[in-house]
Amino acid sequence: MSLLGKKFKLVDDFNQAKNLAYHLLPSRFASLDDGRYMLSNEVGEYLVVDRPKLEAFVRKQVGADTDFYHDLKSKHFLFDDDSNVAIDLLALKYRTKAQRIAQFTALHLFVVTLRCDYTCQYCQVSRQTDDKHAFDMSEDTANKALDLVFKSPSPAIKIEFQGGEPLLNYSLIQYVVTEAKRRNFEHQKDLQFVITTNLSLLNDDVLAFCQEHSIQLSTSLDGQEELHNSNRPRPGKNGYRLTVDGIKKAQNFLGRDKIGALMTTTEKSLSQVKSIIDTYLESNLDCIFLRPLSPYGFAVKNQQAHKYDIERWFEFYKEGLDYVLEINKQGHRFVELYTQLIVNKLLSPFSTGYVDLQSPSGAAISAIVYNYDGDVYASDEARMLAEMGDKKFRLGNVHADSYQDIWLSDTLLDTLETSLSESLPMCSDCGFLPYCGTDPVYHYATQGDVVGNKALSGFCSKNMKIFKHVIGLLEDDSEARQILLGWVR
Amino acid sequence: MKEHELNFDVRVFSIETIKRALYRFSDKCSFDIHLKDSDVTVKIHTSANDDLLAKIKNEVLDQDLRDTLVKETANVRTLILANAFSNTGLIQ
Repeated sequence: MSLLGKKFKLVDDFNQAKNLAYHLLPSRFASLDDGRYMLSNEVGEYLVVDRPKLEAFVRKQVGADTDFYHDLKSKHFLFDDDSNVAIDLLALKYRTKAQRIAQFTALHLFVVTLRCDYTCQYCQVSRQTDDKHAFDMSEDTANKALDLVFKSPSPAIKIEFQGGEPLLNYSLIQYVVTEAKRRNFEHQKDLQFVITTNLSLLNDDVLAFCQEHSIQLSTSLDGQEELHNSNRPRPGKNGYRLTVDGIKKAQNFLGRDKIGALMTTTEKSLSQVKSIIDTYLESNLDCIFLRPLSPYGFAVKNQQAHKYDIERWFEFYKEGLDYVLEINKQGHRFVELYTQLIVNKLLSPFSTGYVDLQSPSGAAISAIVYNYDGDVYASDEARMLAEMGDKKFRLGNVHADSYQDIWLSDTLLDTLETSLSESLPMCSDCGFLPYCGTDPVYHYATQGDVVGNKALSGFCSKNMKIFKHVIGLLEDDSEARQILLGWVR
Repeated sequence: MKEHELNFDVRVFSIETIKRALYRFSDKCSFDIHLKDSDVTVKIHTSANDDLLAKIKNEVLDQDLRDTLVKETANVRTLILANAFSNTGLIQ
């Protein structure tokens, strides 16, 4: 035998499994459209197949010499006597996806005040008027919260200041940043800060402080002037002007990548998605997050959350994404963030860490909230619910409870246990499970039950529609696929 | 509100499979399920006017395939998870 023959197997060696029955590996499927199904495995690899192929796969009737067989084998939907490493590889990939659980809480939200100078109809945190200092976080409370922050095993810690309008308690932000950095000399974490602000109090002092400590800014921009001011009224009716001027100032001072914006959709927004996106382009922002309205805070009290349903919001999202793709086709990179998140989940081996799309829920595992009064909540949504009077997801208080008390509380452990999609009705056998999650606070707020009936769930309906749409684009639109692949991190 | 009826044979589709399929339509319908010998009769109460019955029947077929997948891969799934978490202290 030649040297070549010793080093390389013959072609026939690779066809050994031709006449052997294959074994199925764990997988799920979901209907994609009228004729196609999306088949996914335990670690999120997927194939789009028609019904006859799906049935042939499950009934073990796929020929070993077909391309379909090789696709199924290479993506770990089946194994045969010639592929005995499949289980080890799947375990490795599963562990990679679950890595975030071991790293634990990275995002720590400090609600430094509930005061706000805006009177937004949809406000999800039920702000208090700006003269009530009783709704400010104290240094003592902040110190106790920092004690908990630095107990997290996560090697990366992000502290995000929220409100109300957090710059109304700017002195506390300065204190927390300085104190956290001082403590971090010992802990050596990758420490980052974000201020979520409406920018109305932005000045050179604040910007200089942000520059000195590499603090990111996140603001709200709902669309063009009329829409923004209607959604986000403030005395003087100049919210839009203050926001876009603030964005420009921050971009010039800190750099374009140091400020981002989020929009909230109201009924009024639904017919204006293109002009909303244009507003972002005019402000030199490179991405937008087309978000539906959350069912919390004043949005519920004012009936805003019920004014349009998911179907209408999805049309808004689809029109917006089409427009975003059009912008990209013209050579301008501009990203829709939720779509980017979904594409990453579909195509990347890593977890995204996005709280809402995790199983178990990201509540307290990925993010935790320290309210102005020291109360600790499992998520920002849990805090919003508490401001409406329902403290079901309150985990404790920084003044009274230890790290163990809070993270091992029955409230949290029960919530996490009921948030494992793998054991929930309709989720457990859904083909979109590896990319989706469960939002116990949302389902409690909308159905009075942390699990909820997914057939009635706006969360499920929204995400199923988006998954199907994005997978459809990846499969059927080569130009869109190229753009979406460029968004994968 | 209209009432429809579908019949299944439990020798072909398990009760569990049928119930899983029906659950997915609980936003549009309510159901009464009766079992007599090997016949399952499902009374469907709904105001929906589209091709609902065909969709339910197709969903039962899908659930039957899912049932095969789950049953056949249960042991392998346990093996994969045990392997994945083998050095975490979660396996006893």
